[in-house]
Amino acid sequence: MSNGGEKGSSTKTPADFLKSIRGRPVVVKLNSGVDYRGILACLDGYMNIAMEQTEEYVNGQLKNKYGDAFIRGNNVLYISTTKRSLADGA
Amino acid sequence: MASEEESTVKEPLDLIRLSLDERIYVKLRSDRELRGKLHAYDQHLNMILGDVEEIVTTIEIDDETYEEIVRTTKRTVPFLFVRGDGVILVSPPLRTA
Repeated sequence: MSNGGEKGSSTKTPADFLKSIRGRPVVVKLNSGVDYRGILACLDGYMNIAMEQTEEYVNGQLKNKYGDAFIRGNNVLYISTTKRSLADGA
Repeated sequence: MASEEESTVKEPLDLIRLSLDERIYVKLRSDRELRGKLHAYDQHLNMILGDVEEIVTTIEIDDETYEEIVRTTKRTVPFLFVRGDGVILVSPPLRTA
């Protein structure tokens, strides 16, 4: 099996990826199409997710959830890292 | 930012445990929301909630004007068992500050 010039030598499996993204701003898209953007606190093998400073997007911005938000893993379509950091509302 | 390294990595369910006996907000499938006191939960996110307010949101579309009519129905339930497969999201109560 030849790796096609992959840079991420520490992220060979999805499990490794999940371990490496803790503490990063992420986008979590659910099966229902709803977007959640926040800082990933932790997650487990079922893709249950705990996030901080979470914002919910459905077409436009709907609700702001401050503090922790726990998302049940079966609803998760994908978890993606993002370079955009959340602007702190004064 | 000081990185806090803990010997035991916490799972999301461990953090839900911190909300026991606290009021929480739960988002369910079928456009339903709950606000109540978390008495118990398990790994399936089955939950026992007390003094619960349920909000059901429905959207009607007028055939002529194509106007979206958003309606919410509320009810209160003193004691409630929630089956975990309907749970989408759990959080401390929303703060509309």
